[in-house]
Amino acid sequence: MTASIATNQTILVVGGGISGMTAALEAAECGKQVILVEKAPVLGGRTARLYRYFPKMCHPTCGLEINLRRLKQNRNVRLMTMTEVTAVSGSRGNYEVTLKVAPRFVNENCTACGKCAEAVSAEVPNPWNYGLDKMKAAYLPHNMAYPQRYVIDPSIVGTPEGEKAKAACPVGAVDLDMKEESVTLQVGAVIWATGWRPYDANKIQPYGYDRFPNVITSLEFERLADPQGPTGGKILRPGDGKEAKNIAFIQCAGSRDENHLRHCSRICCMASLKQTQYVREAYGDSGKSTIYYIDIRAIDRFEDFYQMVQKDATVSFVKSKVAKIVENTENGNPILHGVDTEGYHRYATEHDLVVLAVGMEPEITGVKLPDDIILDSSNFIEGSKDGGMFGAGSAASPLDVNRSVQSATAASLHAIQVIRKTASTEAA
Amino acid sequence: MADNKFAAYICSGCGIGDAMKVPQLEAIAKKEGKMAIVKSHPFLCNAEGVQMIRDDIANEAVTHVCIGACSRRAKTEAFQFEGVAMSRANLREGVLWVVAAGKDHDEVRQEMAADYIRMGCAEVKKMTPPAGNTKESSSKRILVVGGGMSGMTAALEIAAAGYEAVLVEKTGALGGMAAQLWKRQPFKEPYAAAQETGVAEMAAKIAANPKIKLHLNTTIAETSGAPGRFAVKLAQESGAVSEETVGAIVQATGFTTYDMAKLPELGGGQPNVVDQAGLEALAMATKGGAIKRADGKEVKSVVFVQCAGQRDETGTHLSYCSGHCCGTSIKQATYFKDQNPEIDTVVMYQDLRVPGMGEDFYRSAQERGVIFTKGKASTVTGGDSCNVTFKDLILDEESTIATDLVVLATGQVPNAGVDLEAWNPVVTAAEGGNEEAKIQRDAMRTTSVLKLNYRQGPDVPQFKHGFADSHFICFPYETRRTGIYAAGPVRRPMDILQATDDATGAALKAIQAVENAAVGRAAHPRSGDLSFPTARLEGCTQCKRCTVECPFGAIDEDEKRFPVFNEERCRRCGTCMGACPVRVISFENYSCDTVGSQVKAVEVPDEDEEKPRILVLACENDAYPALDMAGMARINYSAFVRVIPVRCLGSVNTIWITDALNAGYDGVMMMGCKKGDEYQCHFVKGSELAHYRMSKIGDTLTQLGLEPERVQTQEVAITDNARVVKLINDYVAELEKLGPSPMKGFG
Amino acid sequence: MTTANQSANLGALERYRNNFLKEVEANVEEGHMVKMCMQCGVCAGSCPFGPHWEHSPQKIFMMIRAGKRDEVLGSDSMFMCTSCYNCMVRCPRELPITHIMHGLANYAHRLGIAPKGQPTREFATLFWNNAIKKGRVNELTLTLRHYFRGGLVSGIKEAMAMQSIGLGLFLAKRLNPMEIFGGHGVKDLKGFHAIIAKAKEIEDRKKGFTA
Repeated sequence: MTASIATNQTILVVGGGISGMTAALEAAECGKQVILVEKAPVLGGRTARLYRYFPKMCHPTCGLEINLRRLKQNRNVRLMTMTEVTAVSGSRGNYEVTLKVAPRFVNENCTACGKCAEAVSAEVPNPWNYGLDKMKAAYLPHNMAYPQRYVIDPSIVGTPEGEKAKAACPVGAVDLDMKEESVTLQVGAVIWATGWRPYDANKIQPYGYDRFPNVITSLEFERLADPQGPTGGKILRPGDGKEAKNIAFIQCAGSRDENHLRHCSRICCMASLKQTQYVREAYGDSGKSTIYYIDIRAIDRFEDFYQMVQKDATVSFVKSKVAKIVENTENGNPILHGVDTEGYHRYATEHDLVVLAVGMEPEITGVKLPDDIILDSSNFIEGSKDGGMFGAGSAASPLDVNRSVQSATAASLHAIQVIRKTASTEAA
Repeated sequence: MADNKFAAYICSGCGIGDAMKVPQLEAIAKKEGKMAIVKSHPFLCNAEGVQMIRDDIANEAVTHVCIGACSRRAKTEAFQFEGVAMSRANLREGVLWVVAAGKDHDEVRQEMAADYIRMGCAEVKKMTPPAGNTKESSSKRILVVGGGMSGMTAALEIAAAGYEAVLVEKTGALGGMAAQLWKRQPFKEPYAAAQETGVAEMAAKIAANPKIKLHLNTTIAETSGAPGRFAVKLAQESGAVSEETVGAIVQATGFTTYDMAKLPELGGGQPNVVDQAGLEALAMATKGGAIKRADGKEVKSVVFVQCAGQRDETGTHLSYCSGHCCGTSIKQATYFKDQNPEIDTVVMYQDLRVPGMGEDFYRSAQERGVIFTKGKASTVTGGDSCNVTFKDLILDEESTIATDLVVLATGQVPNAGVDLEAWNPVVTAAEGGNEEAKIQRDAMRTTSVLKLNYRQGPDVPQFKHGFADSHFICFPYETRRTGIYAAGPVRRPMDILQATDDATGAALKAIQAVENAAVGRAAHPRSGDLSFPTARLEGCTQCKRCTVECPFGAIDEDEKRFPVFNEERCRRCGTCMGACPVRVISFENYSCDTVGSQVKAVEVPDEDEEKPRILVLACENDAYPALDMAGMARINYSAFVRVIPVRCLGSVNTIWITDALNAGYDGVMMMGCKKGDEYQCHFVKGSELAHYRMSKIGDTLTQLGLEPERVQTQEVAITDNARVVKLINDYVAELEKLGPSPMKGFG
Repeated sequence: MTTANQSANLGALERYRNNFLKEVEANVEEGHMVKMCMQCGVCAGSCPFGPHWEHSPQKIFMMIRAGKRDEVLGSDSMFMCTSCYNCMVRCPRELPITHIMHGLANYAHRLGIAPKGQPTREFATLFWNNAIKKGRVNELTLTLRHYFRGGLVSGIKEAMAMQSIGLGLFLAKRLNPMEIFGGHGVKDLKGFHAIIAKAKEIEDRKKGFTA
């Protein structure tokens, strides 16, 4: 990696999740100059926080390692973390982009030795684990963090804790005087790979995510199942830290719903099917998973996975949109009420833990999109009016990882076509 | 070229200098490592430290650098020196952070560090910085096979990026399956009305584009060569033959509909029972008018039976879901409703699968009065009034609907050519002289799409259910035949929208492939690697193991059965190197020597010292990062192991194992990726091959008088940072029980 | 009445042949939304009266699509709806389920094929008849009619059981015993009856009861 100089032959990729990394690397490996910006301190996005992928049950960090290696050795990509796009002006082939770079309070000298974290005692909620645990206010976001540099949480800057971090650093990497910076760049094309966020489960009132500690989201469950997560891979429910063995998965939590997200989020059926296998991994035959669903959307060869899970005796399926959840106040167990529509059977079933398969909505908060961008009614990016900006991955449509990468690769080619056209026009 | 000059730089930062005696390490680098320049620095990765190295390269003509600092995965921006061979001795993640703290462990920690310095010096001396192999005449044209929606898209996208495309279509017209459709599903909001397919416009654009050369009525007679220099013989229907030189290939050969004659219970083959393609034909015939059956009667009621011959668990039909059919039936139901809202249209489904914005299309059809019934059809009888008998899953009862027409939503069957798993045994038999097999082989070859003359078969390997898909979720365009990318429904069942996206992505990968080939750069996953394998053919015994085992079909055989390396097809995994019994294959910077010399560089203590030595050969993709992360988490493991990262377990040559055992190591553990059907090996078979090869090493061990436990192969995931530690520590304990290697002292 | 009901019923059968959905769409309030149901079942689970009736809304919608005219119009389930609107606010397709339930009940009632002796249906009839008489509900006569619907003995029993509540209402001036003599009505009773008659005429025409 090197600091490439941005010109109208440069492609800007916004977002450093798997789609953004893919879009950036594919273009760079075609010989194009790319600037990759990410608002978090590290690359990886949502997928790096998943324990396993469906349907292969392999680990997302395995692909992340390959992508990081591609990035480390490629001199065409310039990475800017903790950076957001604040404005885009100009048009296809000639954009001026304003970026806001937040202070990391740690410079390039950092060797990730960890002395600052040892010195600091203040703790902050850990966003990597969706706030399920706390971390030191001087932290390396996770153990595959790239850039491999610590971050000082702004909350301790200007406090004795911040000074402790600074004093502990043997290489002078902690710089508490860092300020937010604004950077302006010229680029020829922009790929928005800004990804998705989980639908706010608090809004689904009957499920009581805000009231019942043992109702969690599918993303939080990923962290619970992950040995690198807050519980060391044990499925301990947040309410009382007890092992949850009888787990309900509620599909379409926010999706396919005129009151919430109108679209189907595509990934959630497969995600829950996958998560039943986390339960199996943890407990073998003594775990129990129940999936409450409307339609199981296991398309193409994902169907194999569905059929495999259907044969798993620890997993049962109830075709029903759960009506409401109440809490058994004696043991904190959520009780699910509803009707199994296949033959009409009413149930009130108690589980140890409920996992809401929350829908995907485009992560557009904090990303100021230029007026030129065309969004659909769910705020997914369709493209730009001038044809010089593209949506990629789950910023463009609710997609699984495989399809996000496909989409990002396609967006990368479209961006290359834009800068090629600019070059040939200028040459003429 | 100037003489080689070796230098070692040892970092004492991050606590290395506190826990280890750096001057002693320097002395080792100088004396044993024979480094001309040896320096230490308290903070090697900072600007000053890096400048020190750069100055030596510039002023002292240093050509080979051993960095004794952190892991090769860390500080890669700092330690990047153009044109210089570099090894990294992992003193931080590999020693400092994994050996228990405290004076008690000072001795073993120092020994471990010293060995890594010895290994780093030994390795770098055997390395040459790869210069790449630029080819002036490399072709940047791209062949697109198949003129359907995917192929047309790929050709247009390639041309729009400034590259030339050669588009080959076996029929007399462009459009493929899409051309047979009356309308397609909407791609954009409002996701309500079916849209024109756009085939005619695309075909016109292709005809008018000077960068696209179109061959209709044409199939491939033979493909030879490699990325950047594929020679493709084209056979026209007329019998004429031409040849095109291209740099990469996009295979967009699409699908065939599942034969509904195989579904007699669902009325397949009976009058007034059609598949989705059949319904399109009926709609095309009236072009928006009232749809009529084959017998001329206007259709007043229609039932769509979803998943016909799909999602089958009995093993009789397709087990997968074709993904597009729910949306397609919805579209087709609107053909009827748009023409006459009074027509009864029922879609009978088990799970309605319209992900994403397809939900809007579903709603739109409901608004227009299409009835959706959750039910499983058991029998369909065709005839003037067709009867669909089904289990209504909501009302929980058996029911029958009488209707004018039944549409079976059958699945997509990929046109992927020859299944190599079936091909290989036939070829082996044919080569063994079996006449029947020869006939069978030739018959199979005629069904091939690409007719590659590769040693490993005429088409790209197929994945599950015969699709030419990638096995990797993160890397959908991962291909086992470099420079050849599948796109569209041949890769995975899909609809037109996805196929369009997919073809665009494949077009990029093809462009990348021609750019890579021109400069001798590797494709994924070692993208950018400029090294390539060479063989000293004078030592070759023509055993063919390399040609057989190469996961990417990169190696052919000449008439004398010597291997012919096609560098542009190679992915630099080193499986050939691991396979070679006479060790004649090597890369400039990775060879039997670069690893072997590290194995030998380790100082093996005598038996009475009670310090076993265990060699760990760790795959650099997953196992090595897991070991690094164990270090980052400061989880201790035995200081008796010496870890060498390898490109893939497939590249592990048994000589390294025997060398280690001969040198008195007490055990060898290999850590690779998951093998089997759900393999996670980035080079497909590397891990599997390593297991296989090690299963055959037993005889050698017995000859040496060694127990089989002294060689172990483990599957490790990148998340296994805690488990790798346990594997190591358990193994050390097991070996301690076994006692020291009887080979000690003979080495 | 009965003959009018029967002929309306036969007329509807004739007009819609086997297509009960179309009949519902044409004759039932918000009936055109029935087709939008995606069978998730959240309505069924959300109904506080769910355990007390036979067919949940989502099941009724499926029965309509399946053409089960007799079962649907003969079902007592729609009459059990208490208009709590739980189903409606939760429905992911925004179906006006409460309204459809009442619409179906009303349609079945008009056709005269609603279940006989269904208590909520009977009460609703009493209420309606009471209310249109003078343009306002006479709570006392409504209550008494309700109590005595099953005969004198059971009426007295029921009235006795409720006497303390009645007394309380009286003391709180919520119940006027004088209302038993007819009570007061709207000012222009004739005009009110004309309005009701016109409304009925319009609705009958709209829903095909003119036959």
